[in-house]
Amino acid sequence: MKLIIFAGTPGSGKTSIIKYVIEELKDQFKICFVKFDCLQTKDDEYISEKYKIKSIKKLAQDLCPDHFEALETPKIIKENQDKDIIILETAGLCLRCSPYVKEGLGINVIDATAGQPERYGPILTQADIVAVSKGDLISQAEREIFRANILKVNQGAKIVEANGLTGEGAIDIIEYIKSISELKEKKLTLKQSMPSAVCGYCYGNKILDEVSAQKRFLAGKKIKSLVPNLNCGKCGFKSCNEFIRAVLDGKVKQDKCPFIKK
Amino acid sequence: MKNYKNSKIEEIKKITIFPGLNKLGQKEKFEKIEINKGEVVAIVGLTGAGKSQFLYDIEKLAQKDTKSKRTILVNDKVPNKELRFNPKKKLIASLSQSMNFLTDVSVENFLKLHMQARGKTIKEKLLKEILDEANEISGEPISPKMNLLNLSGGQSRALMVADIANISISPIILIDEIENAGIKKEKAIEFLIQENKIVLIVTHDPSLALNASKRLIIKNGGVVKVLKTTLREKGIAYYLNWAESYSLDIREKIRKGEMIDEVCLFCEPTKSRKKI
Repeated sequence: MKLIIFAGTPGSGKTSIIKYVIEELKDQFKICFVKFDCLQTKDDEYISEKYKIKSIKKLAQDLCPDHFEALETPKIIKENQDKDIIILETAGLCLRCSPYVKEGLGINVIDATAGQPERYGPILTQADIVAVSKGDLISQAEREIFRANILKVNQGAKIVEANGLTGEGAIDIIEYIKSISELKEKKLTLKQSMPSAVCGYCYGNKILDEVSAQKRFLAGKKIKSLVPNLNCGKCGFKSCNEFIRAVLDGKVKQDKCPFIKK
Repeated sequence: MKNYKNSKIEEIKKITIFPGLNKLGQKEKFEKIEINKGEVVAIVGLTGAGKSQFLYDIEKLAQKDTKSKRTILVNDKVPNKELRFNPKKKLIASLSQSMNFLTDVSVENFLKLHMQARGKTIKEKLLKEILDEANEISGEPISPKMNLLNLSGGQSRALMVADIANISISPIILIDEIENAGIKKEKAIEFLIQENKIVLIVTHDPSLALNASKRLIIKNGGVVKVLKTTLREKGIAYYLNWAESYSLDIREKIRKGEMIDEVCLFCEPTKSRKKI
């Protein structure tokens, strides 16, 4: 089984490009398509209807959609062991987060007209493939500058020029999908930890497992109740949350915080 | 950035296109099409006939893996994967009427940015050359301090052509309907060929089509005919260019607010163009 994660801001053309990829792969492989979103989506229905493949809708509702994706991914894999390829499409709301896993293929669809790549966080910097969409709307020179700027923040990126209208770039992406190895380990690891919020992943948990996330959450919550939450910086970290993560990672002792000492 | 400096572009002497299937699933009606360095090929056909797909196949150096199932060879060889999928090694630059500049920067600094992105050292001489060429193509003058976003459609397209001819090292240029851009199109093509590039141009413009060395006629997603431009057609193209220079001349006068009461006759069509 292979795990492919498409991330990118809304409107960048993720779904359109995925359609072309699925169209080419559906006859050779058993595919499951999972669409993550916050409140509503119909993409999953559209895709299962058009390509006759299994699709799943996952709505995060009140949770952060990327954290939600991290929580759901192991379940999805477990329930779809008969599939060759699982394609996850993220809600794509946050540039700081990226639910890419080391064991899968992370694809960032980025809109060439949407400004400087330097502004993007892990969603771009941690991607294996960067599919640049809407390049047909800007000059050749700007496309080349954009590409050079992507490589400044993600040296190893494989850049693909993609177009959701014509399907350009789909053959490149398929080539990469075919070339990656199957998921072997049961345990998946995030490429990049997620920012703090309210669950175990908020405290820097990286193993996609409910129990380990819960354990981390409780440990984090305990320290959270001890620190002043003033982000005073006296411990040497920019914020209390950063400090808590460092304590949980064993990088620093909790008495480094002057408030806990007292 | 380092990678850019090290990337070498293989010299392209020719590309060869082998037939694929049209929209009805029938084999295209040609054995093979060869295009050599310095050659201009026009691609003509009705809207929706499949001209853009043809350009896409060239852009992707298709190996029976695009919709049309065409095969493209470079220098008589199957292009390696690097050449096909690594954008740093990409051989093709493209220019279409839908392209716009979106970067908020002066013309001069923009060209510098592009040179840097290409891993070139910035040369003032080259900057000047590019601007001079752009100004020859564009009707309205472009100065280095102008903001890129304030350029008119014609100025933008002219700068894009000069930029592609001089900074983008791509040996193959794909042009999609340049005639609507309001620039001196023959001049633009001339600059591109000077650099020894292969130019493929999708066009509805008769003088551009007849100026090319051959033209491919596309119908129903397939090439139905490959015509070599005859001497007679070249003569007609020459005449058309000449006739067009009248219209250009009058256009410029109208734009300057002049009244038109006569058509000035030029005897030498090519020289007359420079006066405009």
